Amino acid sequence: MYIYDDFDHTIAKQRVAEFRDQVNRRIKGELTEEQFRPLRLMNGLYLQLHAYMLRIAVPYGTLSAAQMRKLAHIARVYDRGYGHFTTRQNIQYNWIKLEQVPDLMAELATVQLHGNQTSGNCVRNVTADHFSGVIDGEIEDPRIVSEAIRQWSTFHPEFSWLPRKFKIAVTGAEKDRAAVQWHDIGLHIVRDDAGEVGYAVYVGGGMGRIPVLATKVRGFLPKRELLSYLEAILRVYNRYGRRDNIHKARIKILVRDLGPEEFIRQVEEEWEASRHSGVNLPPEEEIRIARYFEPPAYEKIAVPVAAFEDAKKANRAFAQWISTNVHPHKTPGYAIVTISLKPIGGIPGDASAEQMEAVASLAERFSLAEIRVSHIQNLVLPHVRQADLFAVWQELGKIGFANANAGLVTDIIACPGLDYCSLANARSIPVAQRISERFADLDRQHKIGALQIKISGCINACGHHHAGHIGILGVDKAGQEFYQLTLGGAGDETASTGQLIGPGFSSDGIVDAVEKVIDAYLDLRQPNETFISAYRRVGPAPFKEKLYGVSR
Amino acid sequence: MSKADTPKVLTGNLLRNGATVYYTGSGWSAHVAEAQVAATAAEAEELRKIGAAAYAANLVIDVNVVDVQPTAEHRPTHIREVIRATGPTVRPDLNKSMSPG
Amino acid sequence: MASPVNQVGSNRVLDRNGPITDGWERLADDETVKPGAAVLVSFQRLKNEHNALFAEAAAVGVEVGGDVNLDELEPFLPRLGLIVVRFAFMRDGRPFSVGRLLRERFHYTRDLRAVGDFIPDQILFLLRCGFNSFEAGPDFSVDALKHGVAAYTVWYQRGVERNVTIAERRLGKENLGQESA
Ligand code: SF4
Repeated sequence: MYIYDDFDHTIAKQRVAEFRDQVNRRIKGELTEEQFRPLRLMNGLYLQLHAYMLRIAVPYGTLSAAQMRKLAHIARVYDRGYGHFTTRQNIQYNWIKLEQVPDLMAELATVQLHGNQTSGNCVRNVTADHFSGVIDGEIEDPRIVSEAIRQWSTFHPEFSWLPRKFKIAVTGAEKDRAAVQWHDIGLHIVRDDAGEVGYAVYVGGGMGRIPVLATKVRGFLPKRELLSYLEAILRVYNRYGRRDNIHKARIKILVRDLGPEEFIRQVEEEWEASRHSGVNLPPEEEIRIARYFEPPAYEKIAVPVAAFEDAKKANRAFAQWISTNVHPHKTPGYAIVTISLKPIGGIPGDASAEQMEAVASLAERFSLAEIRVSHIQNLVLPHVRQADLFAVWQELGKIGFANANAGLVTDIIACPGLDYCSLANARSIPVAQRISERFADLDRQHKIGALQIKISGCINACGHHHAGHIGILGVDKAGQEFYQLTLGGAGDETASTGQLIGPGFSSDGIVDAVEKVIDAYLDLRQPNETFISAYRRVGPAPFKEKLYGVSR
Repeated sequence: MSKADTPKVLTGNLLRNGATVYYTGSGWSAHVAEAQVAATAAEAEELRKIGAAAYAANLVIDVNVVDVQPTAEHRPTHIREVIRATGPTVRPDLNKSMSPG
Repeated sequence: MASPVNQVGSNRVLDRNGPITDGWERLADDETVKPGAAVLVSFQRLKNEHNALFAEAAAVGVEVGGDVNLDELEPFLPRLGLIVVRFAFMRDGRPFSVGRLLRERFHYTRDLRAVGDFIPDQILFLLRCGFNSFEAGPDFSVDALKHGVAAYTVWYQRGVERNVTIAERRLGKENLGQESA
């Protein structure tokens, strides 16, 4: 993990002092709410339905056990004993008091955590593959460049007041677990023909009202030149992105309005003029950062691990959990464990202070004190010895986190929705809970196989419904909660936008509708065909028929 | 949508701690049942002015006048406001009632 | 509303340390130039009347918006004593890019001023983008300005000012750039 040096600590402390001063000035009335609002947002502080909400970044999804303990402590002392892991590798607290935020921030800063740029019209916290550094076939650990981007984007003098929010994601393996094409900038680490490491650069992806998959603006950008290229993109956006209409202010609209070719031409022209101005990271600095992400000292373990293989054979529930929640690790004898925060009928992504502490303890005992946070609102123990998996599974069972459903129909993404969010049109969480209960039978879930349901409570799409195999969008229909259904979305390397399947459903009807879609899939699928593959093969017609009858 | 002939209450969130509150006629309460109700358009306008003044005085933010039912509890008509008045429906353990006590 | 302490009031031009005396006179497009005055005009007027302006005034400054076409401005740069960039609203981020480009790409060296509804908390960022003076609103707090410009002492990025980045400091290259006080 990256460890702050004196400079990083200085910046973190100065940020806390700055925000303390701003909060004081706001309370004294020296700053108006209009002036203060963008400042608090850039510190992750929103006003929601019931209270302030604070969003803390988990930089590129990596947490130490000590950081997790601090998050538990914050939940207990400053909130109501729980937090919510989001789709952007953040954690949110729902019951925050403005007056206490400076002290809370000061506590977080002691463990390298912060709310910097988790909201506001600035470069948001960069996200990365949650299996970074432990998955086989990775060209480079994306957290190295993510940390470089974190530093470069933190309090950037020129790009802190962009037309709109700006999200960057990085993936280092062929399989894209970071949904890079859905970001304002997506970086895919690649090698060119000469074997040199660099980036395929995607620009202009985004969800919201107008879902757009990013345009590939460069097939290969040499690694050393990344920051100057990012500055060129940001500068074109900062100067020419729309500021007159919030719904047209994302970079995706600028790319669309200029046309991809003209946009690329402007970026390249800007880059030519500025690429030698000293923005790129000195090579020594890159090496310094990379050192923090070197693989830990793994034990040499002979495989197969007999105890593990025996336990799988002896215990069907354990074997089921292994099949969904455990991924192969690049090191023999180790495994990557996904901790599902999706108990049947539970609130997706929520964890209590006690659960957080239990996960921290498990990480200390079994995962080299490291935890990851995934954009699917789950946690990950990245370095577990296969011999320890059974114990980990049992321990997780004690805190309700041993659900063998990672990647299955009940591993639902849901935004906070109208239960918390002031922008919401409809609730998301209760819909997720009812779908989860409907499909509670684990054998049925395993029979259905890989399927992502994603639910947003409004068109802002924090629940990534556009990228759901089954997407659900809450709308307000004459004061009633109503839900639209989209099919065929995906967030991986085969990214696609879900298509609206037909008229929406009431809160009561939406769960039946989801079940009908799944039944239709089970009827028509070919052997070993996943939902998304089947949908891509047959298109929407059979699903429409099942939902609305033949006459439509 | 707010209708002119529906009773209304003034609500907002306290600047210092973010708590959802209702204007009672003399101060602010966590409970919508204690809110002062505007029965006429003129009274609603009066509430709006009080809200604007409280906002300008840095006391409350996100100030709104919202519709309620003509019952003793002043239950809001829109689900959003019902949830604001009581808490997240998915955490009944953390909910507050519309009336005090 | 509570009254902020130490507001700039009518003396609205500041530098990083507080209010300064300012000799520039802002002219409407139909106002005549008093010979020998330092005049601040719109970009449209500069384009239309530059010969007369440069002949009559002691010094000429221009006010532009964040959407300014810098290529159009470039021919005038050697003779301008002041460029004022207007914030259309507090969250207008374009002036930051305009400032940096004027300093770094067009090598403009004289007075560069921001005007509009920015707040003290933005000044340090403006300084880092090459601005050196500010025309603020009447309730702009001088105390907050002083606080704000001292909020950070180290930076990850290069800026026009304080050019040593943290990465360079880590390499012991503190003397690469000139850090101003
Ligand atoms: S999608 Fe809408 S309702 Fe859900 S969290 Fe985002 S803004 Fe709120």
